[in-house]
Amino acid sequence: MDGSISVQDLVKTYKGDVKAVQGVSFEVAEGEFFAFLGPNGAGKSTTVQILTTLVKPTTGSIRIGGVDVGEEPERVRWNIGVALQETGIDPVLTGRELIEMQARLFGFTKKEAKIRAVELLALVDLNDAADRPCGKYSGGMRRRLDLALTLVHKPKILFLDEPTTGLDPSNRKAIWKEIKRLNKEEGTTIFLTTQYLEEADQLADRISIINQGKIVASGSAEELKRTLGFDAIQLLFELDEEAEQAGQILVDVGENIERSKNEVTLYTENGTKLLPDLVRKLDEHNLSPKTLNVKPPSLDDVFINVTNEQKERA
Amino acid sequence: MSEQKKGSFLVDTFVFTKRSIITIIRNPLIFIPNLIISLFFLFVYEGGLSGISELPAFEGANYLAFILPVSIVSAAIGGAGGAGQALVKDLENGYFSRLLLTPSSRLAIVLGPIIAGMLQLLIQTVLILVVAYFLGLEVAAGFGGVIVVLLLTLGWGLAFAGYSVGVALRTKNAQSAQAGTFVFFPLIFLSTTFVPYELIEAGWLKVAATINPTTYLFEAMRSVFIDGWEAWPLVRGFLVIALLCAITISFSAISASKAVSAD
Ligand SMILES: Nc1ncnc2c1ncn2[C@@H]1O[C@H](COP(=O)(O)OP(=O)(O)OP(=O)(O)O)[C@@H](O)[C@H]1O
Ligand SMILES: [Mg+2]
Repeated sequence: MDGSISVQDLVKTYKGDVKAVQGVSFEVAEGEFFAFLGPNGAGKSTTVQILTTLVKPTTGSIRIGGVDVGEEPERVRWNIGVALQETGIDPVLTGRELIEMQARLFGFTKKEAKIRAVELLALVDLNDAADRPCGKYSGGMRRRLDLALTLVHKPKILFLDEPTTGLDPSNRKAIWKEIKRLNKEEGTTIFLTTQYLEEADQLADRISIINQGKIVASGSAEELKRTLGFDAIQLLFELDEEAEQAGQILVDVGENIERSKNEVTLYTENGTKLLPDLVRKLDEHNLSPKTLNVKPPSLDDVFINVTNEQKERA
Repeated sequence: MSEQKKGSFLVDTFVFTKRSIITIIRNPLIFIPNLIISLFFLFVYEGGLSGISELPAFEGANYLAFILPVSIVSAAIGGAGGAGQALVKDLENGYFSRLLLTPSSRLAIVLGPIIAGMLQLLIQTVLILVVAYFLGLEVAAGFGGVIVVLLLTLGWGLAFAGYSVGVALRTKNAQSAQAGTFVFFPLIFLSTTFVPYELIEAGWLKVAATINPTTYLFEAMRSVFIDGWEAWPLVRGFLVIALLCAITISFSAISASKAVSAD
């Protein structure tokens, strides 16, 4: 069993004709970091629950590490780690007890389970709270414990459904770092759902945007941004006249140019490529901008654009 | 690496049972009230009603021995119902999903709370028997009779635990699961609860007592307390319990497999 994910024509219709997922297909290679991005109710969690054996699909075929989820769910469970959107924690047990129990269920001996608990408690920074009942933990502490439970058996594939929701910025960064390390150093395949575009942008090799149960765009963060069109080159000058002059000189350089006061914005397919040519031309006319920025459109722009398009069509 | 691993049903069951026992011990309020109510039954009925055992229908039996099964059975209901309650809590706080995501045996997941419930019930029953002993209980069938009573109680508890687990997995919420336990109050009281069959006046209650499985449980326990070793009441009692267990345990197993594949 390897670390790949393969989903073909996945459909899930809940009772009452709720079409949660409407024909989703994608492949994730071993060791890849894949992000599933989408607004509320898009079908992200439903997809995670189906991929992780918790919910049966209406139709479609799913292979996790080459193993059919419907046919051999137990084999799949040995190899995946899952942190659902809602944390799953027994409030009566302590963090240490929960981790040890989880380890025992994954075939660790008592002794191994104890050692693993110590490692994981340190990893998620819960040493101090380890022997308190989890019911008394804060939301962020619960999230971190939940993540530790997910990692107990060193799974080949990690499914993380909005793992950083409700975390403060420093804890969020720490979790990002750990997920990144697992992916880069251990070669763990990651399937992450998120509403933080920044998160997908920073972490994922590849992103699919899902909306109303359908994948509406896929690619690397860069590719997705490019599908939106253009980079923006922003030039700021000391004087308005300089900006006006620059506007005239550069008019045939980019696809589109805008000027307001001392600012010139140039839209072009690939900003970085164009830059040397642009600077040389300005230099020939003894113009030098105060600041110069090449800004790709943000993933926000892509996300809003793609999900809005859908709404308009519907 | 983890590919060749096989789960161990015994380890899983042990782990889940241990966890359920810890949960019960840390929440004594789950079982203490129930135990107190059962002992209360014993004291009040023994104190207030024992005079009626002078009636000829009792054939000289001690009323304590007659009412004791009612106390034991009502305590058992509370104990066994705890298994369902525990699962409902897991379902509500999401821990059940976490357990389903482990490769552990699905049967072990529901067996853990049931076994813990049975152990709790065993301890409760021994406690009630000890109290009854100090109140002057004499068991006609001797120590073997006590073992028979414990076995009957366990069987009854298992049947009820199966039922409560099944209801819990189907309704998935605490209120409905709790409401499900009310079925058992008529079962206790529409029976030969306070007086022998011959003394029941109302025709409808006679009918109810006849079709009520609890009647045969009471009769089996009373036979060892009062009459000594008699085959027929015991055979009947164990048969009825075996039948009940078969029904409720299948009900809980089917409910468990449905709960696993939500739709
Ligand atoms: N158990 C269920 N029964 C019926 N409908 C459901 C169930 N679970 C989810 N749905 C519905 O399916 C759709 C997709 O829900 P899902 O939880 O997959 O969305 P999501 O993308 O995870 O959203 P969020 O970002 O809010 O977590 C929603 O319309 C939701 O109401
Ligand atoms: Mg979700």
